[in-house]
Amino acid sequence: MSTQRWRLPPRPGEVIDRSAPIRFTWRGRPYSGYAGDTIASALAASGVRMFSRSLKYHRPRGLLTASYHDPGVLVQVGPEPNVRGGHRLAEDGMDVRPQNVWPNLRFDVKAANRLVGRFLSPGFYYKTFMRPRRLWPAYEHVLQRFAPGGSVPDAPPPAYYDKRYAHPDVVVAGGGPAGMAAAVAAAQAGARVLLVEEEHALGGHLRWGGDADRGALANLVAAVGATDGIEVLTDSVVTGRYDGNWLAILERSRRTGPGPTATGDSGAGSLPAERLIKARAGTLVVAAGLIERPYVFAGNDLPGVLLSTGARRLLNLYAVRPGERAVVLTANADGDAAAADLAAAGVEVARVLDARRGHGLVRARGRNRVQAVDCSDGRTVECDLLVTATGWTAPTSLLNMAGDRPVFDPRANRFFADLERLGPDVLVAGGLAGDGTVAELVEHARAVGREAARRVAEARRRRSTSDATVPPPPDGAPEPVPALGRDEHPPMFTAATHGMVDFAEDVSSKDLVSAVAEGYDSAELAKRYTTATMGPTQGKLELVNTVAVLAAATDRSIAVTGTTTWRPPYAPVTLGALAGRRFEPVRHSPLQPWHEAHGARPLVAGTWIRPDHYGDPVSEVRTVRERVGLIDVTPIGKLDLYGPDVPKLLNLVYTNKWSRLEIGRVRYGVMCAEDGVVLDDGVTGRLGEHRYLMSTTSSGAETVEEWLQNWLQLEHTDWQVAVTPVTTAYASMNLAGPHAREVLRRVVDDVDLDPEAFPYLRVRTGSVAGVAGCVLWRIGFTGELSYELHVPAGFGLAVWEALLAAGRDFGIGVFGVEAQRILRLEKGHLIVGQDTDGLTTAASLGMDWVVKLDKDDFAGKPELAWRQQHDGQLRLVALQPVDGSLTPPEASQILEGHSIVGRVTSSRWSPTLGRSIGLALVAPHLATPGTEVTVHLPDGRDVPAVVQPAHAHVDPEGVRLRE
Amino acid sequence: VSESVVARSPVVPAPPTTVVSGWEVSARRSAAPLRLSDWTPLAKVLLHGPVRGEIERRLAVPHRRSGRAGAGRLVVGAEPGTWLVLAAPGTAAAVAGWLGSVGAAAGEFHRVVDVTHGRALFRLTGQDSAAMLAKVCAVDLADEVTPNGAGFGSSMARVTTGVVRDDVADEPSYLLHCDRSYGRYLFECLLDAGAEFAIDVDGFTVLDGFIVSDG
Repeated sequence: MSTQRWRLPPRPGEVIDRSAPIRFTWRGRPYSGYAGDTIASALAASGVRMFSRSLKYHRPRGLLTASYHDPGVLVQVGPEPNVRGGHRLAEDGMDVRPQNVWPNLRFDVKAANRLVGRFLSPGFYYKTFMRPRRLWPAYEHVLQRFAPGGSVPDAPPPAYYDKRYAHPDVVVAGGGPAGMAAAVAAAQAGARVLLVEEEHALGGHLRWGGDADRGALANLVAAVGATDGIEVLTDSVVTGRYDGNWLAILERSRRTGPGPTATGDSGAGSLPAERLIKARAGTLVVAAGLIERPYVFAGNDLPGVLLSTGARRLLNLYAVRPGERAVVLTANADGDAAAADLAAAGVEVARVLDARRGHGLVRARGRNRVQAVDCSDGRTVECDLLVTATGWTAPTSLLNMAGDRPVFDPRANRFFADLERLGPDVLVAGGLAGDGTVAELVEHARAVGREAARRVAEARRRRSTSDATVPPPPDGAPEPVPALGRDEHPPMFTAATHGMVDFAEDVSSKDLVSAVAEGYDSAELAKRYTTATMGPTQGKLELVNTVAVLAAATDRSIAVTGTTTWRPPYAPVTLGALAGRRFEPVRHSPLQPWHEAHGARPLVAGTWIRPDHYGDPVSEVRTVRERVGLIDVTPIGKLDLYGPDVPKLLNLVYTNKWSRLEIGRVRYGVMCAEDGVVLDDGVTGRLGEHRYLMSTTSSGAETVEEWLQNWLQLEHTDWQVAVTPVTTAYASMNLAGPHAREVLRRVVDDVDLDPEAFPYLRVRTGSVAGVAGCVLWRIGFTGELSYELHVPAGFGLAVWEALLAAGRDFGIGVFGVEAQRILRLEKGHLIVGQDTDGLTTAASLGMDWVVKLDKDDFAGKPELAWRQQHDGQLRLVALQPVDGSLTPPEASQILEGHSIVGRVTSSRWSPTLGRSIGLALVAPHLATPGTEVTVHLPDGRDVPAVVQPAHAHVDPEGVRLRE
Repeated sequence: VSESVVARSPVVPAPPTTVVSGWEVSARRSAAPLRLSDWTPLAKVLLHGPVRGEIERRLAVPHRRSGRAGAGRLVVGAEPGTWLVLAAPGTAAAVAGWLGSVGAAAGEFHRVVDVTHGRALFRLTGQDSAAMLAKVCAVDLADEVTPNGAGFGSSMARVTTGVVRDDVADEPSYLLHCDRSYGRYLFECLLDAGAEFAIDVDGFTVLDGFIVSDG
């Protein structure tokens, strides 16, 4: 076990809990730390200085920022790759390993790239691997071995990823002093506020500051806690801003490990690992603060080179001494404070180089860590720590997404938001707006918060004015927002030597200069050519330096050179968070528990889960043909139609005639779109004077309802018709087979089932198994004597079980969708969508009796009338292969010579006939009964098949279903 | 309906079970801060009529609002020109008769349809109700946007769902109804979403607002 020999005695603002030690492993060896430590701080406390190797040259990398954005501490934690070690809290039992090194971090074979570094110039990949193209697979194979990043686990992570929606009045992005002040002011003005902070706690730079900063922090945090209407999210980040202030907010690791199960019976009370919040904000206040910018010089990526904020985080948040002997390069007050903090913590500050007084440095020396610094005055100072404080990057990402373009101020030497370009729903506070004391920043932010709330209230007030003829009330007076100043700062971007610009992508200032020399002299081109700003830090550390190097190389100003474009996401988002919970709705029949208990093999039919079969579909077919079978057909679409104008509607949407449908009668109909293409089919029965029940295909219920509503609400608003979908108000079941009537008679008292009283294509209402309000149809999709029963859904299971009990001595059996498909194919009944496609018109169905062109009008009539005159469409026919043992797969082509003249739409082996049967769409000249056609099988064989006289292969006269 | 025949919800009731007005329901009682119960047995009757007509004036419940009518009936302005009435189990016929009389008195074309068996209905109750629903529903559930009595339709875990804010004893409570076939799926999704709030399944309790007329 390593000792925490670099841990300092307790510090006033430390965030570690010394009473809660933790143990974890790094490179397989045991390490310790305290709760509240990040992975990086815990390791640094034990003296670890090298955490990773760089992307391209495999140079040793240590801490730079000691924060989320630290490019040197991307590590593997258990199965999770690319963990930000400068941010992720260390946990007991963690297995932490370096990434992309072999055989180990200290001795990495790939570090040999440094020896050939001069050949790995910008655009190396573009220049080297493009030709000859035939070698690309080999290149790819090798390059994959050099790909950076950790190991992706084979199995999905067990964590619970989630999403949620939020509708705050004001979202404040950034929980530093300005963000907190803005949030409190907005909430006090009556707004609902979501305050989002990337760190694990509110406070921003105040957290690692001195006594005065900590005092201000305590006051602000107390104010946030005491103010109603503020929801605080820490360890969370606003990753994107889209039109209408639609914000993507990533709420990070609140708890690791498995989350709750689908049934909620375990993991109750647990929190998701990550959650994507989709927030629609009234006003967005961007208070993202400033990110300290590295300095470019030779050796600036050696372990031991730290930014001043990184050093102060280690010292003041985690009580870690970052070195023993330090050199500090400072150009601002934060660098001065870092030097003071180091000295106070017992670090020997060997030299302070004050850029404001003309001091500078040339390079850092050392092999795997800083050992000395060459100063610009010629002195060399031995040290193990170099701290730089040379300026700031303004993370204007969210502002850019809102249409802003940052403006460079050459006096302050940093970018600022261009407030004039921002729309009314985005405001800026804190360092992005300007400089000032904490009190000045807080005062400014308070005014911004009040203005944010005022704008929301104004917008709400305008929306609530519902009468469009009344002009909206005048806007209230805007909140006066005091202006912030801009502090002068020396132009500190690069030293006289070349150094690393993009630490994550291994892009140096020399690379950028080379790119300019090759003609890539704009920021956007150089970015893509060198990959600068395209790594995990996404420009937060390196963008301004990249622009500064390009500006110098092109002899332009930074303002003219401009920046690259910031796009979402601001910070990485895991695929798990993007996916969230898997919402894939499924529909179940009321009989589903019975199916599951009786071994039904599930069939996913659209959103429905249906029983495909119960073990032996062929046997199920025989049960129906020889005895009696029962099938669950609940998914059949059902629409309650009511009103005196229903016949007009039916005449309009069906191709046949409906004016004289008598009460108690049922009729089959085909529905076409206006182009004559078959939309749906089904039967409709008249249950009363104005009451009808329409059935549709299972998948067509919603489409048909929309179709009917479209006609009624847009074209015939004067028709008195009410349409109510009642598909699942009923459990639907079909009792089919020679003994169907006898079985039904045992459970029905109030309906006369005699064939004369209740013949084929009739409908009755009555009681089944003691359940009133049932609808009984005599129709026959299977081709057998059958009754389709629609039972109030809650009683479905009871009726189903009653029918099975009643039919036991008749040998009743259940059958599934597969048996039903065989039965209907034997009978030659088509399935819309299977035997038709997006071009199949009603004229192609081979069912001319159902298309009545002598009707006044119906949807699709003009197209069908034209078809009658210009018949070239495929025709639906029944087909039997000459060799009855061969069953051509569905979609097999029908050939004539080398031309495709049709296809098999349905095919099965018929247990009833003992041979293969099918339906097919064929060219009209092949539709004549007796025609032999050629079916092309997938295995390449061509087999003959004969067109049958009728669609029905079994009982073409319909004797069985009319019995 | 024969007394021996029991109606069932799409959700298997948590034990112990009992029978209320011919429906098998859960008799489980939970005191958890966030509770989900299956209220599918409630009578649910639709009335279709003209938009902004005499029926609407008589019912006095506009679109997107709900209100109590006599005999513990909750009238919801479900869609323009469509009202859904929720009432105690076993009272669908009485409710249908009442709605028919409203339509007849108004003298307007109307249609009354009993959809008791076609809709699954759940009640979610607890202070965290809105926070939980925010995981599956994109509508703003803040009090000022959807106060008690609000009624609206929304996607909930990608299922078209009717939502009625119907607070109980000062606790936020939502009635959620969807096509019965989606009931089991939606119930499971709600439990999943509520796990972080320690949600628990509560049995079917008939509240004062939904009086059981047949005892």
